[in-house]
Amino acid sequence: MKALFFAAFALYGVSVILEFAGTAFKKDRLLKAAWYVFLAAFLLHLGFIVTRGIIAGRLPLSNQFEFANAFAWGVALMLVVMRPRLKTDWLSVVAMPATLLVMTYAALQPMEIKDLMPALRSAWFGVHIGSAVVSYASFVIAGCIALRYLLSVKKGSADERALAQMDYISYRMVAFGFLFLTVVILSGAIWAEQAWSAFWTWDPKEVWALITWIIYAVYMHLRLRRKRKGTAMAWFLVIAVPVVFFTFAGVNTLMHGLHTYG
Amino acid sequence: MKKLFRTLRSMRFGIVLLILIAACSVAGTVIPQGREAAWYVQNYPSVHGAILALRLNRVFESWYFIALLVLLCLNLSLCSLVRIRAVIRTVRGETERAAAMPDTVLLSPEGTEKLRCFLEDMRCSCEAVGEATVWRKHGFGHYGTFITHLSILLTVIFGALALYTPTVTDQSCMPGESIFMPDGTKIRVLDFRITDETGRLDYQSHVQVTLPDSRQSEVAELKVNHPFSFGPYKLFQQTFGTAGSVTVTNLENGGTDDFLLTEEAYLSADGVTGIHYEMLYPDFIRDPSGNVTLITVTEGSYPHPIYRFDVIAGGVFTPTLAEPGDELELTGLRFRFNSPVEYPGLRIKHVSSLCNALLIASFMLMIAGLTVTFFYEPVLVKTDADGYAVGGPKPERMRIELSEEFREYERTSKEEAT
Repeated sequence: MKALFFAAFALYGVSVILEFAGTAFKKDRLLKAAWYVFLAAFLLHLGFIVTRGIIAGRLPLSNQFEFANAFAWGVALMLVVMRPRLKTDWLSVVAMPATLLVMTYAALQPMEIKDLMPALRSAWFGVHIGSAVVSYASFVIAGCIALRYLLSVKKGSADERALAQMDYISYRMVAFGFLFLTVVILSGAIWAEQAWSAFWTWDPKEVWALITWIIYAVYMHLRLRRKRKGTAMAWFLVIAVPVVFFTFAGVNTLMHGLHTYG
Repeated sequence: MKKLFRTLRSMRFGIVLLILIAACSVAGTVIPQGREAAWYVQNYPSVHGAILALRLNRVFESWYFIALLVLLCLNLSLCSLVRIRAVIRTVRGETERAAAMPDTVLLSPEGTEKLRCFLEDMRCSCEAVGEATVWRKHGFGHYGTFITHLSILLTVIFGALALYTPTVTDQSCMPGESIFMPDGTKIRVLDFRITDETGRLDYQSHVQVTLPDSRQSEVAELKVNHPFSFGPYKLFQQTFGTAGSVTVTNLENGGTDDFLLTEEAYLSADGVTGIHYEMLYPDFIRDPSGNVTLITVTEGSYPHPIYRFDVIAGGVFTPTLAEPGDELELTGLRFRFNSPVEYPGLRIKHVSSLCNALLIASFMLMIAGLTVTFFYEPVLVKTDADGYAVGGPKPERMRIELSEEFREYERTSKEEAT
């Protein structure tokens, strides 16, 4: 089973190399190859997740490895869904490395399958953690689009329409992620009340999820009410991505709390 | 006064509050919370004064954090009130205002016709105003941000009530025994086990609650993630423990006493000779020469429990170990060491179920509000024979969509048209 994971990991790596080469040398064939290799990696990755789920007899989302693995797949899924809809490939050059980055983090985690601890055996398990995967992946994709926006502005390589589209799509991704982050926090609160007897315990993971929520709430207000757009908002999204990664991985690594499941 | 009111309801003030709440929260996660003052003096020798003075050791209970939350509630209330009035005003004259908008994109006649079909396919409702036609969809989307802000306000209020009003009691109880609450409610624990039939960890007890008015619950199964509510009480499987079990028989009269030991104890008939129970270890390793290494921590049930105690006789303490089933006789007493007894630690919450229900309703409202805000943006397009203009509170999506869809039919640039 591990072979599937590492095959997907390797193919993601190859797709990133091909994408960079295709972008640097402006070779469409390389870019096309990168996309097909990425799709193959995505399918292998899906195969790994399904197989692991069957073997474990549950959703494979219970520890740092499984969550990081699903997170990477979520980022890849966003790219797979969005690229054909956008009819453009400006997203791939940043989203493919982002997928590889999260996969690398996953590869560094212990991979053994463990029984679910009693606190995790709940109907909220899939809703809470699945929403977190979607939410974090959306924020990472929004950050990728924002990065691409900044690069395009710096190079002067995109027209106004393309920049407006990038700016708007990044905002939509944040809106999507924000909704799911809200689901994460609220479903987590309901679950916490069932498992730990309190809706909110100021646990580091809860607090950092709230901090992430506040950061993106500020973004939404600046974007929607103050009509802030363009470079400043793109920088905002790029800078917010490390906070998402900290909430996801940093809190579990550096802080002890109720969410420390290994 | 007006200026103060404007500031309190402004978005800028709301954002400043959110940033301050986030900053306090960061401090609350970086600095361990709720320890004794001496702990901070020892671990933060250079900054402990500032930590204690600013109450950074209890950020989430500090006056300034609560003040920030209260101000946020005030900001949300005022902002929601002002916003709903503005939204109602906007919605009222929206069609007329849209009809008066100048075209921002001029289209060829073919493009205009295609645009009409496109808007019909989108299931927009249309209204003719003079020579213009105003197309609308998702009118309720105007209320999305109001619903969202209102739900956040309700969540903070009901969340605070749910967090601070319940009375919480943590209580251990041996199987077969009962817990009595101050109001006379009786909670009986019938049994408890740590693992299920397959050996998987699954802390489970059966409980029965009797209220002061004699109403009695069914026997309910209590597990992690499966609390049990009856009357004003909600019971949670919180923790568990393992107690040593010793039966003491008086050899002279044959009388017996059973002791469940959860902490150090001295068992003696005459106060001079007896055993001083220290603790029960979950596991041990015995090497070939007979030396025993005690293991203090294992997961779940104790695999090889072993009792550790001192035999006290004639003023001499003799460290001794005993396994379940072992017996020891000391001056007229026989001590029999039994298999340990596992018992649950329950959390008993006296809680308002109405408050919890209202909080969960606020959660649902927030999800609905955000969904409407982000995914049901009001569509408002004015078309005429020459082209179109996009209006409404969030025209960006429609502008981009129409611009992409009809760029080949555009007759002139936006600047020229306006």
